[in-house]
Amino acid sequence: MLKRCIVAENRKLHASPIWAMFVVLPLISAGYGTFNYLQNLEILTEQWYSLWTQHTLFYSMLFFPAMVSAYAAYLWRLEHMGHNWNLIMAVPVRPFDLFLAKFLVVVKLMCFTQVFVYILYLVCGRLFAGFTDWPPVSTLFFMLRGVLGGLAVAAAQLVLAMLIRSFAVPIFLGLVGGIMGMLLGSKGFSLLWPYCLMQQGMNANRSEDMLAGNAVPFLLACAGWLAAVFVIAGVVLEKRDVKA
Amino acid sequence: MQTVIETKSLCKQYGTRMAVDHVELHVPQGCVYGFIGPNGAGKSTTMKMLLGLIHPTSGSVRLLGQPLTRESRLALLRQTGSLIENPAGYLHLTAQENLEIVADLKGVPHKDIGRVLDIVHLAQDRSRKVGQYSLGMKQRLGIAMALLGSPKLLILDEPTNGLDPAGIQEMRALIQDMPAATGATVLISSHLLGEMEQMVEQVGIIDHGHMLFEGPLAELQRHSRGSVTLRLLDPAKAAPILRAHGIAADGGCVTLPPLRDDLLAALVQQLAMNGAGVVELTPHTKTLEEIFLSLTANEEAD
Repeated sequence: MLKRCIVAENRKLHASPIWAMFVVLPLISAGYGTFNYLQNLEILTEQWYSLWTQHTLFYSMLFFPAMVSAYAAYLWRLEHMGHNWNLIMAVPVRPFDLFLAKFLVVVKLMCFTQVFVYILYLVCGRLFAGFTDWPPVSTLFFMLRGVLGGLAVAAAQLVLAMLIRSFAVPIFLGLVGGIMGMLLGSKGFSLLWPYCLMQQGMNANRSEDMLAGNAVPFLLACAGWLAAVFVIAGVVLEKRDVKA
Repeated sequence: MQTVIETKSLCKQYGTRMAVDHVELHVPQGCVYGFIGPNGAGKSTTMKMLLGLIHPTSGSVRLLGQPLTRESRLALLRQTGSLIENPAGYLHLTAQENLEIVADLKGVPHKDIGRVLDIVHLAQDRSRKVGQYSLGMKQRLGIAMALLGSPKLLILDEPTNGLDPAGIQEMRALIQDMPAATGATVLISSHLLGEMEQMVEQVGIIDHGHMLFEGPLAELQRHSRGSVTLRLLDPAKAAPILRAHGIAADGGCVTLPPLRDDLLAALVQQLAMNGAGVVELTPHTKTLEEIFLSLTANEEAD
């Protein structure tokens, strides 16, 4: 059942404008990060690590939540706009599978985005920052951890976009979530807010590993938030009357 | 004959308003059942409860002989096709792609898509984006989605909405033939009674959430006994008899209220024996609209 839902979700993305955003936002983010790095060479002295912080600070605080929010909002917008709620809820699939399929599609887009961001990081480092070597492997690890931290964000944004018919409002809430994540993270409450997990995972604004020795609580927090959001999604889909 | 849809005391309350109030539906197998009522009468709400899209406040639903529960719902939906409220679709995709999505979700092989496109006459336009479709074409695409997988039960909410007269005629022919062609039972709603008269065998009439009538269309039409016009050669001789029956007589044409056949026969005989010269007796059957209005009026008087 889930597989059928995923096939259907992927089909809905044909000829969709979401791909334009997929390309443009990481480019802006990388351009901004590289520019910042080159302007502050006197304080940013750790080469690839320093470039990493500049590339990922605004990315993980603003661009990433905005993009994931937009992916999620777009997937539900297709259902809100075309009167499709009655259709998708009257087909013989578990309602939660519809949600899960959208989640997996957002995660897929999110992974592509992360890979694209990493490629841009490499390209900017070699071409514009003038590095002649390759970045430390730990940056690759940070990137993967960012995906883990982003899972709960993707799920939370899907719930918001499912409940809010507007396209812009959940994206705005995603941005608020990202900024709150930065504030809470700086106060040391990073495990208590899903949007913070992504920023911590990415090791966005420091060169030493923010999560060194804290991998287990981090993973538990990722899993816990994801499970909590899934439960909310399941209950909402089960109990709520369908409004097309 | 098996009852394909059966509801018991089905209720849906929104705040203090009963949108659906103790509705008892009985849809026999293999028929086209017209679910008729004005806008806002509770038709869509009832249909959405039949599909489990909204949860009843109280009461129960049985589909295809099984109670509709959380556990049985998916198995029942597998045998059901529906079009509720507005035609759905992904506007940036073609009709073909839209049907592929629905086929995937229903677990129906894609080769069925050609069949349903032919039925609704959209085969030529399968590669056009649904966003460019007219409302009538979207409506037909919605029917095609419902028909995918040859369901045993079709629930169509106002499928003729927004169609031009030719489209309505086409839809009527399509739906009328469905039980014979596919063995499906069809529940179809409309607020236009005239439209229904030509395609349904069974009717249920609903207003303000209450069922006013349910039964074969023929029975409803029997309820439709209308007035009778009498043309008399000698109205003066008829006048005392008619007055005795409380009927005003002026001139050679008299309109009698709806009467039982035996009473009418007795009256005519009496008039003839008194030399009133009954030359013409014209029965008027009420249209479904008039029947509906009289049913509604009775309901309000109660």
